[in-house]
Amino acid sequence: MASALTVVLPGDVVAQDALPTGTGKKKTLTLGPGLRHIPPNTVTTTVAGTLVTDNRKNAALVEYNSGRYTPFAGDLVIATVNGSAAENFNCLLTPETPPAALPHLAFEGATKKTRPQLPPNSLVYCRVASAGKDQPPELTCVDPSTGKGEGLGPLKGGMLFKISLGMARRLLAPKSELALLDVVGAKVGFEITVGRNGLVHVDGGNVRTTLAVGRGIQEVDQKALGESGQRKLAADVLKSL
Amino acid sequence: MPREAEISINEREFIKQALQEQIRLDGRAFDVFRSLELTFGEEYGVADVQLGKTRVIARISVDVVTPAPERKFDGIFQIVTEFSPMASPAFEIGRPTDAEVILSRILEKAIRRSNALDTESLCIIAGQKCFALRADVHIIDHDGGLIDASCIAVIAALQHFRRPDVQVEGEKAIILSVREREPIPLSILHQPLCVTFSYFEEGEIYLVDANVAEEQVRQGQVIITMNKHGEICQIAKYGGATVNPLALLNCTNIALEKVKQMSKFIQQKLDEDNKKRNPKGLMNELSAENARENAVIPG
Repeated sequence: MASALTVVLPGDVVAQDALPTGTGKKKTLTLGPGLRHIPPNTVTTTVAGTLVTDNRKNAALVEYNSGRYTPFAGDLVIATVNGSAAENFNCLLTPETPPAALPHLAFEGATKKTRPQLPPNSLVYCRVASAGKDQPPELTCVDPSTGKGEGLGPLKGGMLFKISLGMARRLLAPKSELALLDVVGAKVGFEITVGRNGLVHVDGGNVRTTLAVGRGIQEVDQKALGESGQRKLAADVLKSL
Repeated sequence: MPREAEISINEREFIKQALQEQIRLDGRAFDVFRSLELTFGEEYGVADVQLGKTRVIARISVDVVTPAPERKFDGIFQIVTEFSPMASPAFEIGRPTDAEVILSRILEKAIRRSNALDTESLCIIAGQKCFALRADVHIIDHDGGLIDASCIAVIAALQHFRRPDVQVEGEKAIILSVREREPIPLSILHQPLCVTFSYFEEGEIYLVDANVAEEQVRQGQVIITMNKHGEICQIAKYGGATVNPLALLNCTNIALEKVKQMSKFIQQKLDEDNKKRNPKGLMNELSAENARENAVIPG
């Protein structure tokens, strides 16, 4: 992420020099969510947020904290199993969205004879395999090229916490830095699983740790705490354990 | 019937485990309400209650109708609940969920049948004209505790409401507009409020003001309605868990304490609102009971 963030408001015209120049092989500029192209050469924003550009991919998008999750192929999500049909589990990503299908065979090492048994309302960490406008999204728990699970699969124990979609993206970003998690993680062990559908699963081994970490993440999210705020919160969290 | 998205197994187990260790998800003690906010609208009779993330708006409106033939001396009072689909994906207009049926039934029992409102005072001309009062309860956001929040909203709105004054001359009644005569408050006999207790672990653990996650895990609930004088208006129990009679007695004691706090809070908010509407107590000058000074008519 760029060191200086550009804040944009809806309707702003993005200056040419703010857009990536396309140094790599990709010549055409890709516009992500929140940006709109008005021919011939004008790019305007449709939402308020920060402008994020990627020179290597020649792409630009507006990062904003939207309210509702819409599935995209490749997103890591935490799904709740609703029931089992002939070949799929019917899963819910959020209570508002239509159900998604998770095939019985889309688990690591699953065959027709050894299909996983998931009772209703259990949690699964999975990847969105395909999502279209007119069909229900399809989920998978294996990497199609290797056939390995790579950390995906049913989630055991722990507790689920709701966070905003922006926070989920922030936690999933490749170089995400959350001072809270670093400081707390140095003292106590816990495991977090972030779903892009605005859910985070925390397992700290016991009730106190799980709750402290989960509520800490929610607080950072709700109060938009900066680094110093997070360190202070982390100290409070550690004191409460 | 639309169903609420069920809570996952992991969350269910975690909540139970935490309760056994005497911990609630939001860090509250077992017998503590979430933060309560009450605001009144510009108009009389609009109350907006926020209990944690739950939000309920009650609105009172009045109309003139012919009274029911078997109750000639009574006005009409009706409570209508509406669950907005905005509050939760499980709510649909026109298809009531169980929660909605229970809510309207409890409000009916708690407020209407406990005679909180003196319906006789709504009569204008016996057998011919009376006021029909309607309380609309809108659930705007749902995070548990709907019954408690709705009851507070209706009671606060009723206390805040002013009905137009009437002038009766024989068989003729004239409704006086707000400009002609200051509208008058309703005659409220007592202020019943609900406190919901949620039971867990076969009645071993009970919580006050459960949020939506705790509501989904609970085994049963006991709703106690009482006024600040400690008079119980109704007790309802839903769900299968058995409740020890002695525990129930304890619940009524807690309920009384909560109801006293809430009544005080509502009264305080009403006073604040009144002060805002009536700066420097000018309204008191309008009263007909004031001593008259012999005005000197010029000319």
